[in-house]
Amino acid sequence: MLIQVRRDTLLILLVAYILIVSGRFMTYISYASSTAEPEGVPISGIIVKGNDIVPIESIRANVAAAGFRQGSYIKGDILVTSKRSIPLDEAISNAEKFAKLSTIPGTSLTPIVAADVKVDKKTGIVTVNVIEDFSVVEVR
Amino acid sequence: MKGKIIKLLGIFLLFNILMGSAAATLNVIVVTDPSGQDPNGFAGGSMSFAQNMFQSTFILSKEHHFTILSGGEGEAVPRLMAIVDAINILKNGGTAQEAASAASGYPGIRIMCGGPGRGAAVGGSFDAYVVIVEDDGTIKVTPYSGGLAVLPPGKKGAIIHLRNTHGNPMYGTASSVRKEVAIKIGKMIRDGYPATVIVSEVFKDVAKNAGEKYGGGAVNVASGVTTGDMFTPANLNETGYPMDQPYAKVCPHCGWSAGYPTAENYQVCPLDGTPLKTIYAYDALRDAITVSESAISVSVYGSDEAGVIQTTREIVKATVKEEGYSEEAIAKAINDAIDNGLIIGVNYVEPKDINVKPGSRAVGVYYTPLPDDRTAPPMDLPLGSGFFEILGDIQTALGCVLLILLLFRSTLISSFRR
Repeated sequence: MLIQVRRDTLLILLVAYILIVSGRFMTYISYASSTAEPEGVPISGIIVKGNDIVPIESIRANVAAAGFRQGSYIKGDILVTSKRSIPLDEAISNAEKFAKLSTIPGTSLTPIVAADVKVDKKTGIVTVNVIEDFSVVEVR
Repeated sequence: MKGKIIKLLGIFLLFNILMGSAAATLNVIVVTDPSGQDPNGFAGGSMSFAQNMFQSTFILSKEHHFTILSGGEGEAVPRLMAIVDAINILKNGGTAQEAASAASGYPGIRIMCGGPGRGAAVGGSFDAYVVIVEDDGTIKVTPYSGGLAVLPPGKKGAIIHLRNTHGNPMYGTASSVRKEVAIKIGKMIRDGYPATVIVSEVFKDVAKNAGEKYGGGAVNVASGVTTGDMFTPANLNETGYPMDQPYAKVCPHCGWSAGYPTAENYQVCPLDGTPLKTIYAYDALRDAITVSESAISVSVYGSDEAGVIQTTREIVKATVKEEGYSEEAIAKAINDAIDNGLIIGVNYVEPKDINVKPGSRAVGVYYTPLPDDRTAPPMDLPLGSGFFEILGDIQTALGCVLLILLLFRSTLISSFRR
């Protein structure tokens, strides 16, 4: 042996190690068993209505980009996302703007001419109503 | 001067290649019930060896029940204009023939379209066979090349367009495969197969024999179902999923599944040890667009995570198949999956969170998302979390104190002895 260590030193080291590990584990258990109330109403889902040719996934992804996505929650009149907190009204108007930019995948066609976003502050469900119109769509 | 011209020409050529890259080389529409009564009686699809086979090559209108399949070697802008023209004509109640003839106004473009009650048609630049199956079982297969080809409303039949993409190692097989597949479609329609099954057979045969194998995707026009982005490329200038390759492995017992390439590492189900079933891409396509009597529609609320929705769907389907429409059984199966870590980010469900409608074969699952990015629901322990927190802190502190004592051991002992 290069380093001379007494047996009781090793024993105490072991006890200290076990104590720290089990202590950390207990802290984790306390976190895992805590039923902390969520801070606000979490966004639970996006319902899309009125779309015909534009796929639901495209619209949903765009609305999620405006902040209405998994992990965001509503606290009073504020929408708290993983990136920042913005007033709910602003988030809704952003979502309406973004929904109108939804394309048919693989093209630059944006046939959605109007979008209406409603947020239920109690359940966290976001309802998006869109209107498609192909007679005015621009081809660039 | 000469160099400049060549450079310009090069850029022009490159531009052309980029613009014309979304060239579907297989377009097929199969009609086995022209009235639209049969939920699987009207289907279509697009596939190619080329890149960029996005959903714009197999457009579906769920509301007005029509499909538009596009392709051709022309540029992107006229192709989009032709698509928009066709959509407008079909939305205003026009027939497939009228909509397809819109393509002839644009160079190099192909529009194939159709819907229940409208017939089917292809217009523009194409090499197609029109298959018509009469009610007495006679099959008529006619080749067309360019212009306009129509399957009239009220007739059973199909239109298949197939060309080879430049660079396809199986270049030159298109004309023979087109003919074989057209005859096979005719026979299958006569023998009473539904259109969705025939479309998946066409995808299988064309992918294997003509090499035009990248999705693309398919649509069930009668029921308004599309494969969506199942097989389309993930990024611009990439190819989609090869339709003749394995797509996923599924446990027939509990519904556990894994997609390729992950699935290569699994032979048996990690949860119950049942041997897994391999699903090929064309099977997955058929299952995705076929509406069957036993199909269960599962709606998931409270979570938008794709993995959660997919997994819940499979679990509910497997449970209903084994135990029937029981809220308790479904809730138990879902809670088992949450315990196993298959479904994360949501709290346990109770039977009241499951909404079952056996009459319309529909199941709704209402999840409650967990706060602050937790993956698992809180543990149910006899002692409160505050107790564990204090206990944990005391233990950690004791451990640290012991370590410090150990470090200054000799100093401390000698100071005691003094």
